[in-house]
Amino acid sequence: MKHKIIILSALVVAAGCTKLDEHLGSQTTAGSGSSGGVTATNILAGTYDAMRGPYQDQSRVWAMQQHTSDETIGPTRAGDWDDNGVWRVLHSHQWDPNHGFLADTYRDLGRVVFSATDLLRLSPTPQQAAEGRLLRAMAMFSLVDGWDQVPYRENTANSEEVPKVRKGTEALAYIITELTAIIPDLPVGPAKQANKDAARVLLMKCLLNKGVIASRATPTFAAADMNQVIALADQVMTSSRGYALESNYFDAYAPTNDAISKEDIWTAENIGGSSSGNVRSRWFCGLHYNQNPSGWNGFTTLSDFYGKFEATDKRRGGSTYPGMDKGISPGFLIGQQKTYKKATSPGAFPYAPLDSNLSDRTGAPLIFTAQVKLVETGSDLERTGIRVMKYPIDYTGGDNSNNDYVYFKISDVILMKAEAILRGGTATANPATFGGSNTALGQVNFLRTHASRGASALASLTLDNLLDERGRELYWESWRRQDLIRFGKYLNAWQEKPASDPKRLIFPIPSRSLAANPNLVQNPGY
Amino acid sequence: MSCKNLLKSAAVVILLCVSQLVIAQERVVTGRVTDSKDNAGVPGVTITPKGTKTGTQTGSDGSFRISVGSGVSVLVFTSIGYATQEVDIAGKSTVEVSLVVSNAQLGEVVVTGYGTARRKDITGSISSLKVKDFNKGVQTAPDQMMQGKVAGVQVLNNSGAPGGGTTVRIRGASSIRAGNTPLFVVDGVQLQNTNIRPDVGLTDVGGGTPSGNPLNFINPNDIVSMDILKDASAAAIYGSRGANGVVLITTKRGQTGIPKVELNASFGVSKILKQLEVLDGDEYRAALGEFGFPTTVNSATVPTANFGDNVNAMDEILQTAHIQNYNVAVSSGNDAARYRISMGYLDQEGIIQKTDFKKFSTAITANFRMLESKKLGLDMNLLTTQTQEHVAPISNTAGFKGSLIGQALFWNPTRSLKNPDGTLNILYGSDNINPLAYNEAYFDNPKVTTVIANIAPSYKITKDLEYKMQYSLTYSTGVRKQYTTAYINITDVAIDATSGKGGEANVAENQLTTNQITHTLSYVKDITAKINLNAVAGYEYLKTKFSGNSMYARRFIPTDKPYYYFMASSDPTTRREYGFANPTEELQSYFGRAIVNMSNKYIITATIRADGSTKFGENNKYGYFPSFAGAWFIGREDFMNGIKVIKDLKIRAGWGITGNQEFPGGQSIITYGLSGANPATFQQNTIANPDLKWEENQTFNVGLDFTLFNKLNFIVDYFNKNTTNILFPREAADPVTPNSAVKWVNLPGELNNKGVEATISGNIIRKNDFSLDLSINGTFLSNKITGFGALQIPTGEVSGQGLSGAYAQLLINDQPLNTFYLKKFIGIDKTSGISLYEGGEEKFLLGSANPDVLLGFTINAAYKKFSLEAAMNGAFGHYIYNNTANATTSFNNLGKRNIGKAELELARSLGEKPVNPTSASSRYLEKGNYMKMGNATISYSIGSIGKSIKGANVYLTGQNLFILTDFTGFDPEVNVSKPLNGIPSFGMEYVPYPTARTFTIGINFSL
Repeated sequence: MKHKIIILSALVVAAGCTKLDEHLGSQTTAGSGSSGGVTATNILAGTYDAMRGPYQDQSRVWAMQQHTSDETIGPTRAGDWDDNGVWRVLHSHQWDPNHGFLADTYRDLGRVVFSATDLLRLSPTPQQAAEGRLLRAMAMFSLVDGWDQVPYRENTANSEEVPKVRKGTEALAYIITELTAIIPDLPVGPAKQANKDAARVLLMKCLLNKGVIASRATPTFAAADMNQVIALADQVMTSSRGYALESNYFDAYAPTNDAISKEDIWTAENIGGSSSGNVRSRWFCGLHYNQNPSGWNGFTTLSDFYGKFEATDKRRGGSTYPGMDKGISPGFLIGQQKTYKKATSPGAFPYAPLDSNLSDRTGAPLIFTAQVKLVETGSDLERTGIRVMKYPIDYTGGDNSNNDYVYFKISDVILMKAEAILRGGTATANPATFGGSNTALGQVNFLRTHASRGASALASLTLDNLLDERGRELYWESWRRQDLIRFGKYLNAWQEKPASDPKRLIFPIPSRSLAANPNLVQNPGY
Repeated sequence: MSCKNLLKSAAVVILLCVSQLVIAQERVVTGRVTDSKDNAGVPGVTITPKGTKTGTQTGSDGSFRISVGSGVSVLVFTSIGYATQEVDIAGKSTVEVSLVVSNAQLGEVVVTGYGTARRKDITGSISSLKVKDFNKGVQTAPDQMMQGKVAGVQVLNNSGAPGGGTTVRIRGASSIRAGNTPLFVVDGVQLQNTNIRPDVGLTDVGGGTPSGNPLNFINPNDIVSMDILKDASAAAIYGSRGANGVVLITTKRGQTGIPKVELNASFGVSKILKQLEVLDGDEYRAALGEFGFPTTVNSATVPTANFGDNVNAMDEILQTAHIQNYNVAVSSGNDAARYRISMGYLDQEGIIQKTDFKKFSTAITANFRMLESKKLGLDMNLLTTQTQEHVAPISNTAGFKGSLIGQALFWNPTRSLKNPDGTLNILYGSDNINPLAYNEAYFDNPKVTTVIANIAPSYKITKDLEYKMQYSLTYSTGVRKQYTTAYINITDVAIDATSGKGGEANVAENQLTTNQITHTLSYVKDITAKINLNAVAGYEYLKTKFSGNSMYARRFIPTDKPYYYFMASSDPTTRREYGFANPTEELQSYFGRAIVNMSNKYIITATIRADGSTKFGENNKYGYFPSFAGAWFIGREDFMNGIKVIKDLKIRAGWGITGNQEFPGGQSIITYGLSGANPATFQQNTIANPDLKWEENQTFNVGLDFTLFNKLNFIVDYFNKNTTNILFPREAADPVTPNSAVKWVNLPGELNNKGVEATISGNIIRKNDFSLDLSINGTFLSNKITGFGALQIPTGEVSGQGLSGAYAQLLINDQPLNTFYLKKFIGIDKTSGISLYEGGEEKFLLGSANPDVLLGFTINAAYKKFSLEAAMNGAFGHYIYNNTANATTSFNNLGKRNIGKAELELARSLGEKPVNPTSASSRYLEKGNYMKMGNATISYSIGSIGKSIKGANVYLTGQNLFILTDFTGFDPEVNVSKPLNGIPSFGMEYVPYPTARTFTIGINFSL
């Protein structure tokens, strides 16, 4: 009897020796030997992928730079686009630390920082490391620009680490050091890869905004920084990449821009039909439901901004673009909207005769009007506001449009150089490809009067008309807020927005980020 | 002992010896066991020849057949809930036995997990349901059978979909993120609360369709009892899986005797219980005019104008649903071997056209007593089920195009769903989708196959000590094939004019495998005349693997065949392939329990379980879960002798710790995930937490059992349950990994659930021909979060046009879970016609989604051969967010879509204008109070027909007969899953599959 119990007890105990180590299924661990799969190459690919969300989605960096500016508004249209007020508070500068999109932007930019730092842990080649560091510098630049505080991890393998924070000028100095260090290891091109010229342009942006980051309300511009901006611009303009202004302003944004554009310096690669960021939100956000493709009938520009363009300015649009439905042209959409494609079989969008006038959902003619209010209450509420088609529509890519998303293009370099000269830098001549002028006015006029732009020459260059010119050249490209702050206009009143409190020059640290990290401090006034 | 009894006993002993030697000398006794009050057959009554240990059980109609040794003269009839009865069978071959309900149910045996105990020895809070207690009619899963029947237990059908998901909560919600569903255990096999059916998303119109019920594979007809362990002293034996309570399901076993066949068949019809009233064509036309919209057609592309017709789109997608259900079981056996084989078939149509739920189930159980000594036992059972469904395109998170129900509600009622030539009227170029066409275009056929194989040898080492080993393998696979044809006007699905291609298809499969090995040693002995010990000790190992793969593609060449046949012919750029395998979960446990009964007056129970899990962090591999409880039978003390009013008074008190470990694996260590193809990318999955451990529940329970006036049985419990170490995917400090922004942590706060639950049952009237029984259970609950500091967690996503980013609920300190947090609607500005809110954009805490009171009410009446059972259930004191009224039928949709009648009337009375922006607010927050007539059955006992048919019984059951409520949606019994960042919502309603009212007629008999 006793023996039996002992044997059984032994059995029970013997059975109980399982070691409780996790078998990870489809997940894997990094590092040594057996793990195999995780390499610097695919972490770097992951870092590029992490850039897509914050820069291409309509509710991230783009919203933070555009909706808070005089170029863009997200009107509430009765049942549409109320969205708990998220768009209204951006335009009217009424956001708080719980604003979902601002918090998500802060987080998504941090993800790039995390991924690039993780890459550096996994023995990358010098070029891979440099690419990762450029992506990280870009994300950090957006963070310091928006929130002034950049949290970072020293070791992404230490999950106990409380991220430290670099603030303001310290963060910017770190970015400048990083960029300077990595240029030798970066490749020359192509545009879709983190490249030497991309680092140079980002460095120009850092130097141009250095005094702004130091004091956003009263920025000063050091001549040494401006001269460095000019020198970098000259390096980029003479780069072996062979930049030039193309014949059609919208080629830089076209579905095939990776093949045809000579203006793009740095882009995010989007592969049509298979892998892309949300670049298509750039046209979906404004198109009416009854247009082709059926859009979201949301964001518009404001009439004052539209009014800054001359009628001849081709950047304003109005011409058809190869491959696009001829009822929709790139640029600004105003007035009666038409359909061009005729449906040949059920299912085609839209099912209407050739070249007929479109109606809105209430049956009224679909006429986009210039005037728009933050809260639309009239019977025309579906139709107010001028729509913006910066990117020619890719009709074939489905969810994944082929248009590479543009971070930097050569015209921005021309305008930054002119600005640096205007702000006290020593002028140098532009290369012949860009007109050869050695004055800021001449350089800007070369751009304006180029056949692809078609505007008239300016008589003189002032900070005010240079800011306007940056708007005309770079509208809806996520630079407007930064530019308005640098030019001291961000707190002004404009259409559908009163003058705002100086605290609005910096976004609040999102509540959830603040709660998770004691090293972050809430920005003044929030 | 009198001389006569002594002789009798001696005779029995001698005869027993003889009978064991001379087995051939047997005779057969047949008969029927009925309930003394209504003469209804009592199933599951154990019949043993006095002095022996093996016997048989009655069938579903109460009839039995037993072979007894020729010397046996007395049969003992025992059944839970009835007084044990001994019947003299000397010289009889048939007996009719009438059992009397035992008041305190003290003789009952209760399944306690890893063993059984006498009801009188129970110190914790355990409710037991037998076949006669189960809800009748169409029940696809066992949890529905206990709705409204057990105090402290809330069972919600999340929607009206056949086979649809349920929400089961025992004593409130004690967890934020780790799940509140109790652990279900079938014949000792622990189930994983994993939905095997793969999810598919609805292209363009919304997210996934709602989940099915993971318990669908169990055939309710195979269940003999369910024991619900509600407090920690009962559930702590399940350690880190016991925090939400445990439901122990026991299936039917074979009975001794010649093979007996039991059959039942039922047929039913269902119709929608309640329609939401939207405008009809005339009202719509009038409203268009009244509010200044064009009332004549001016363009083929304006889907909102007046088209002259008068249609009710909801009616067009509904049907009268038919249901059939058949069950056959054969059982037989003898002293050494018994078996039961059963098969079931359920074919249930849904009230939405093309939807149905079919279940094919088989169960085989065999029980053997081996060796001459009968010391070696072997129990085996094999359960296999396949469920097949056709699912409607209904989404929990439909956007502005609505999913099927939304589309039917806001379809322009002046516009015909069909063209004059009979084809479907599809509005190409419009975002208004014809619900009839969408339902026609959408095919979705998930199948889930489940096999449980279970083998349990046991050996009686001594008379008191038994060793048992149980090994089980549970394997489930879910396959889902879905496609949408090219002819529907949904973006990315609609046929492309240039290429002539369109449509979309999904193929997905999931697999879940669980291995469980349990060793137990149990010891039951009367240590002295006054002290009885019931102890068990054991070891258990559980291993679960879950993995799946899926494919999605678009742009097919349209054919009349399912598009998923031609995945290879889809457009390659649209194809998406997915695969996953969750980290293998292993749980290793040691446990023990001892129940000591002293003088049948004082009982003490102690349990302990140690659980080690692969999911726990390196620094917290093992958790320990103790419990202690005691009971005192005051009623048996001498000083209670003279008291007549209160009888059988028993007081129970217990304390214990249980755990919850329902969180994803791989959270305690750094892991990487691979995703994408172009290019493939690796990223860290989450921020790892090596300290991660189980969630802990401390429960204190005091209970009182007594009988008043010899008639009314009371069971009253007070409980106080405190959850600490709350498992939560907390926002991690930036910068975070691209794959996740959270770190799973044990939050510092607490979640408290306390309350009182009471069951009062009794036989109110008992006359010769008539009896009336009542049972009422009530639960008073309160729920509160404390120690959260400034932490605020939003959930309850509000969906629909213009509502992106809106949510309705907040988890915040000092409030119940899922407290509504909304703008306060105070009226309409008379000039602008736009909503006014108190404090503008400010939001307020406006009450909780958790009911304060749950009620269950069951009445049983019998008159001669007729009997009536009616069961109601209800919940009170909570709120429901009506997202349907907010987004789908709201007034400001006028001019674009149809709207609700009530919304129009309200808008008129308030002076609202159609330009009023949509906003989530208290305007759509409604009181959820309801009382539902869930189940009513009239049956007539025919008895025997001819020689072969026995115990025939016909019945008519009505389900969801009516609801008493002020809630304006389809059904206040609803829980549409609207999580935000993975935090579950509760009390949200959004265009669900509507509830059905069902009538079933059926017959049972045996051969």
